[in-house]
Amino acid sequence: MLLESLDVQNFRNIHGKLSFGKNLNIIFGENGQGKTNWLEAVYLLATTKSFKTQRLQEAVKFDEELAIIRGSVQVSAEIRHALQVALQGNTKTLTVNGKKETIHRYLGELHAVVFNSDELEIVRGTPDARRKFLDGGIVSIYPPFVQTLADYNRVIRQKNSLLQSAQESGFSVEKVAELLEPWNEQLIHLATRIYKARIRYVERLNETLEKKLFGREEIAIRYASSLEGKGDLSDYAALLTERLNLRVQAELASGHSLLGTHRDDLEINFDGHDLRKYGSSGQQRSALLILQLATLTVFYSQNKEYPLFLLDDIDAELDYKRIGQLLEFLSDKTQTLVTTSKESFLERFGTNAEIFTIENGALKT
Amino acid sequence: MLEYSEPVAKLIDEFKRLPGIGHKSAQRLAFYILRRPEAEVEKFVEALHEVKEKIVFCSVCNNLTDVNPCMYCSSPTRDRAQICIIEEPYNLVAIEKTRSYKGLYHILHGSLSPIRGVGPDELMLANLFPRLMPDNNDGVEVREVIIATNPTTEGEATANYIARLLKPLGVRVTRIAMGMPVGSDLEFVDEVTMDKAMANRHEM
Ligand SMILES: [Zn+2]
Repeated sequence: MLLESLDVQNFRNIHGKLSFGKNLNIIFGENGQGKTNWLEAVYLLATTKSFKTQRLQEAVKFDEELAIIRGSVQVSAEIRHALQVALQGNTKTLTVNGKKETIHRYLGELHAVVFNSDELEIVRGTPDARRKFLDGGIVSIYPPFVQTLADYNRVIRQKNSLLQSAQESGFSVEKVAELLEPWNEQLIHLATRIYKARIRYVERLNETLEKKLFGREEIAIRYASSLEGKGDLSDYAALLTERLNLRVQAELASGHSLLGTHRDDLEINFDGHDLRKYGSSGQQRSALLILQLATLTVFYSQNKEYPLFLLDDIDAELDYKRIGQLLEFLSDKTQTLVTTSKESFLERFGTNAEIFTIENGALKT
Repeated sequence: MLEYSEPVAKLIDEFKRLPGIGHKSAQRLAFYILRRPEAEVEKFVEALHEVKEKIVFCSVCNNLTDVNPCMYCSSPTRDRAQICIIEEPYNLVAIEKTRSYKGLYHILHGSLSPIRGVGPDELMLANLFPRLMPDNNDGVEVREVIIATNPTTEGEATANYIARLLKPLGVRVTRIAMGMPVGSDLEFVDEVTMDKAMANRHEM
């Protein structure tokens, strides 16, 4: 998978065309010139989402109606796909080779993983960010998992709504148990699928984890089910069924679904310590990178190609020693795009890279 | 303070009650009506009145009909030993298109959805149970109840709920096969897929 070029019109402050190399690409510019916007445009082309905003209409250039991001992706030696994302007001139009595509079909065309300060939530934020990290990884190698997650979230929302109205109406525990049955039956079925998929995915990450990439400290990850210590996890469905039956009263009292995979977490340890609580910010950044590299490798083992790897403001997040180790690991693997504002970065890592100097949103000529 | 004069605001408010209509669409519809000639609006009002006057729920199966019982329930050629449970009257159209189902229907007019305030009492389900007694079914014993609610989480919950109520009564309960994409609405399933789903139904 190779993004050969990117052509942008009216997206934030950037415009023009960049032709990328197949290994390291450095987007260089002073702050405010638009280098991160170029990375955002690549990410948008791959995922149809922004890593900066949920409201894409904000990303259309002021006073313009339509923003267009177009990319040429080399699928094989002979085959090129022209991808395009057009933003107009609230609507987003996706096309492949000039033909309109549904989001499901479009998403298979180009894959990208981004490393930036927001992604650090995975290693230092709430469990929600880590579940999303795992789920996103599973979807990238098994797209139908999206439906399982959507159905699960729907069941949880329905169940929460049921519990809240039951609370307001003062229903008895027996009555609530009866009303919950049809939802719990699906919850058990879907949660079991999610649990097994996440366990398997964490296993695969563990198989490829470069545990000591950045030094002597060793990273270890483990999926932590919220049902741990409550019984035999090898029959997850049976254990969850048992717990749900026991906890009807507690769920009614809280007005929320208390049991299921939405309460699970991914434990990340650095030399045996909980990274979130005891890790330095340098260790957290190293751990995030090691995790992301593992997702790249798992993706590769499934699809026989790597996603694009996008690293925003890389030198604000990592020291040169670690960047050197990282780039060495990535060379001959991923097509990598990094942004930097430091001349010294170019001097140190620019030798075998394509360098794009951005000024006022466009390539400086 | 109202954005518009009282009668306009009232009309917008009524449109907003319709499914799938938000504030913006309701405004657009109201102003469309305002710009139409009187006679045309009169015809529209008449159609609304007529449909409410002449169309009733079938007292047996809850189908919308202008004769009670409906054409399916009163037909001598339909197999009274099978009842197919569906969410909406338009699901019936999809099943009829397959031309392979000859039994009767039971229409719930919805599916369980606590978010929308729909619990078991809001479904038109109570009149299903008397139908299972031969005395109320032209002397025919119901052999099978096929649950053909949508393959959504709401449709599944509804199917689970009904199956739980029916099983103790000893009637065979089946669920149509989910050969169709999960999360879809049976309204949009073509007849070939629907036919397969009916043929491959399984025991609940
Ligand atoms: Zn009828």
